[in-house]
Amino acid sequence: MRTHQILLASLAVLSVVGGTAHEASAERRQNSLAKDVAVRHRRLLVKNRFEVTPLFESTINADFRHVIGGGLKLEYHLTDKWSIGVIGVASASVNTGLVNKILPTLEPATNNATREPSQEEFTDHLNSMPFHGAAYVSLTPWYGKLAAFSQAYVAFDFYFQAGVAFASLQSTCPASVCSDKNPGKSTMMGMDTIPPDNNPNNDPALNSGGRAGLYLGGGIHVFLNDFLALDMTVRDYAFSDNPSGADYNADLAVTNADNRFLHHLFFGAGLSVMLPTKVKRTQ
Amino acid sequence: MDGDTKPKAGGGAGSGAGGAGTGGAEIEMDDDANKPPSDLAADLAASDAKQAAVAKSGGVQKTPLSWQDIVVVIRKPFLKVHRTELNPFVGTTMNDNIIRHYSAGGELAYYLTDVLAIGIEGNYYQHVFNEPFDLIARQARRLPTVNQYNWSTALDFHYVPVYGKFAILDHRLVTWEAYFTAGIGAGQSEVIPRDTKFPGFTNFLIQPNVGAGMRFFLAKWLTINFGLRDYVFYDHFEPTNRSATVNANAADAASHADGALINNIMFQVGLSFWLPTSFDYTTFR
Repeated sequence: MRTHQILLASLAVLSVVGGTAHEASAERRQNSLAKDVAVRHRRLLVKNRFEVTPLFESTINADFRHVIGGGLKLEYHLTDKWSIGVIGVASASVNTGLVNKILPTLEPATNNATREPSQEEFTDHLNSMPFHGAAYVSLTPWYGKLAAFSQAYVAFDFYFQAGVAFASLQSTCPASVCSDKNPGKSTMMGMDTIPPDNNPNNDPALNSGGRAGLYLGGGIHVFLNDFLALDMTVRDYAFSDNPSGADYNADLAVTNADNRFLHHLFFGAGLSVMLPTKVKRTQ
Repeated sequence: MDGDTKPKAGGGAGSGAGGAGTGGAEIEMDDDANKPPSDLAADLAASDAKQAAVAKSGGVQKTPLSWQDIVVVIRKPFLKVHRTELNPFVGTTMNDNIIRHYSAGGELAYYLTDVLAIGIEGNYYQHVFNEPFDLIARQARRLPTVNQYNWSTALDFHYVPVYGKFAILDHRLVTWEAYFTAGIGAGQSEVIPRDTKFPGFTNFLIQPNVGAGMRFFLAKWLTINFGLRDYVFYDHFEPTNRSATVNANAADAASHADGALINNIMFQVGLSFWLPTSFDYTTFR
């Protein structure tokens, strides 16, 4: 009986000592900085600040027409990481090298006996994008600083955006070129049924008007001082489009079915002004 | 890591040890033993009072705190000097809307200094056709003239002028650097015949290249790299007129080929393995 009591007492002491030792060991392993933030006395370069960015934007690797323009980004940084914003860009369109290579090889005058478009039919079906933009939520998970050429030491951050894209598309195919009033359909003339002409080159392009879709973006701020930053972004405005305005699904007519969900990739560069111009610091 | 390029009091190594001195006095680094222990709050209060007095009197006078003269410089977290980088990578075309090339390649680079390296690279290419390749044929009734790239190799020089660090979600610090690359090399392209009954031909290309990229440090022996590379060359394409009697064989077609200057811009991503797998600092902490 006494041996049994001693054994129990020993186990109890061991468990208490072991537990204490375990806790002490755990405390020793845990550095006091482990739960601390990565950076102290950090300039809060975006938190609770309003960002105004005049910017330039251009398509990346467009198929038929480059879209090049200027616009404005307005963003409010709710916290150090989250912000909301809108962007709007007015643009001009320039033919790509692909279009410039194709055009001289096309027939100069329309010949409906052939299936190939004339130069006028080809260019008049292409659409442009006079205005586009997005409303988005932005996350800034990374911030840091860099040294360039051992001379310039600047702060930067990376951000990612997602939201709703919108665009205004425009094609200017005149009635003399896009003359088919019933593309792909038979028409009645008196008692006679006239079959479709199976010529998509004279069909209306159907690639004008407003579009809404998905917006994704990612970019970097490089801070020149407390309130000015270079802003470089890759943006993807994805929405339904048929840039060539021609028959995509090979049904020999241009219809709404030829529109498909396309990604319109842009590179943008701008100069961000952060307001108010003074920054606060973390503890 | 302090959030500013201007040195701040506290938070950094040495701030406690170097805290001797009073507001307005310059620090005497070798005279600490003779001075009483200081208090940061008192230093700041004294400095503020002095600055307020200066502001009231209208004069502008710099009264640096002794602590602010202490600049904490940490060691570079990653050294590359006299190390070899083995960099397998994959890439894809960025600027061709007719044909897209995918590359698998590798580079072996030796770092002469921490910012300069010399290396050799090799690429093997595969291709797919983009949507406009078919659309142009169906909609404009034209067959695009395209070449595929088979392989390329180059002697490259690397320069690393930018390095930095960033915090992920305010906790984990990651260091990175940006580099520029220029090189000279060779490659081979091959004509894809518009009409498969005619043979294609290959071209030997002299390819200078320039590029830039970023490298993120994951371990002492491992980094992940992202970059853009522009391979510039003068390529030769299939002549537009080929028939049973004109440019029918590869030699004739090659002799009448159309030439053009090409910029093949590739986006590349890869891992770098560094040898030796570790490094030693040559200066004391």
